[in-house]
Amino acid sequence: MPFREINSKMVEATVVPGQRLFSQRGAMLAYRGDVSFTPNIAGGRGGVMSMIGRRVADEDTPLMTVEGSGIVLFGHGGHHVQVINLAGDTLCVEADRLLAFEGTLDQGTVFLGAQGGVMGMVRGQVSGQGLFTTSLKGYGSVAVMAHGGVFEIPITPQRPVHVDPQAYVAHHGDVRNKLSTALGWRDMVGRGSGEAFQLELSGNGAVYVQASEEKL
Amino acid sequence: MFRLQGSKVLAVDMTGDAVRAKNGSMVAYDGQMAFKKMSGGGEGIRGMVTRRLTGEQMTMMEVKGHGTCWFADRATEINLVDLQGEKLYVESSNLLATDAALRTGTSFTGLRGASQGNGLFTTTVEGHGQAAIMSDGPAVVLRVSPQFPLTVDPGAYVAHQGNLRQSFQSGVTFRTLVGEGGGEAFQIRFEGDGLVYVQPSERNTIAGDV
Repeated sequence: MPFREINSKMVEATVVPGQRLFSQRGAMLAYRGDVSFTPNIAGGRGGVMSMIGRRVADEDTPLMTVEGSGIVLFGHGGHHVQVINLAGDTLCVEADRLLAFEGTLDQGTVFLGAQGGVMGMVRGQVSGQGLFTTSLKGYGSVAVMAHGGVFEIPITPQRPVHVDPQAYVAHHGDVRNKLSTALGWRDMVGRGSGEAFQLELSGNGAVYVQASEEKL
Repeated sequence: MFRLQGSKVLAVDMTGDAVRAKNGSMVAYDGQMAFKKMSGGGEGIRGMVTRRLTGEQMTMMEVKGHGTCWFADRATEINLVDLQGEKLYVESSNLLATDAALRTGTSFTGLRGASQGNGLFTTTVEGHGQAAIMSDGPAVVLRVSPQFPLTVDPGAYVAHQGNLRQSFQSGVTFRTLVGEGGGEAFQIRFEGDGLVYVQPSERNTIAGDV
């Protein structure tokens, strides 16, 4: 268990020799012990191909490698921090919301445009997230940032969940996601309810939603 | 039906009934939901005219369906209010959601509203049901009884309910005019029987940055 929530906006990571962490560059608040921070050119794990993938996909938020032995405090911009533990499943999260994650996880890039056809293409434009997102897979924990608190909604095959694209933070599990619209003539004439676009998540897993419609 | 998920998210469980909520405040839902735009200031022609006159143009939507719907707005704190026939006075910018059974309208506040920078009118919510109001930081609920009147900073006032008379107090003196004031030149005084919601902040804009 390398991440421990100190308060709602700070996590503590225990670094032990032979195990490394990745964190967003500049997110270290304090540390104790013998810990080194090195800029990570490759931006996490996954080799050169996934690095190129990230560059192309604009999911290459600068990361640093944290190694050594000691305790490190992470936090960024006063945003709320949520720790998510993965047990073999995949977490999808925007690269800029990623605060820190364990080196045991495989980082990759997922093309979301293919999900849901044309609406998949529109999805990135509406949510301001682009067509790609970062994925983390394996066993380990991840610290994710959000504006306001984060709450988790389970997704089961019988109960798909709809999320405001601006309030969406991350999701994990075997989940399909597509953009759904509730556009009617009222929206066309400017009398919309302000909820014209939603992300529809279906399958098996959970989605993390923030208590705000503001981006980081 | 209304429950808080943490202090900043309102969860509403619906079984075919409806709620009204601030436009665009839905963050997630499961099940089946339909969203329809409405306007504040009461229903019908009279409501429309009041809206034009008072500037209390809160845009609300009606949410109807089966399932759970979650609402939040810019990570502000949410407080639940139970109304049993009495009237709640709240600034439209602080109102997040109400039971569809509650009636909304506008009321004249006079100088108090002007001192808050919120205009001369405020929104009223009346009937039997629940309402969710927002505050900048966790709000406290202060009881006013005939023996114990309460004086509140206009910027920290969020809402009030019950049988209260409010009067505007000005502590502007010679010292204020020469720049030696205590910084508390205006206050609202509540007398009667009721509750006043006060937020730990004197900003009128509900906090943007964390």
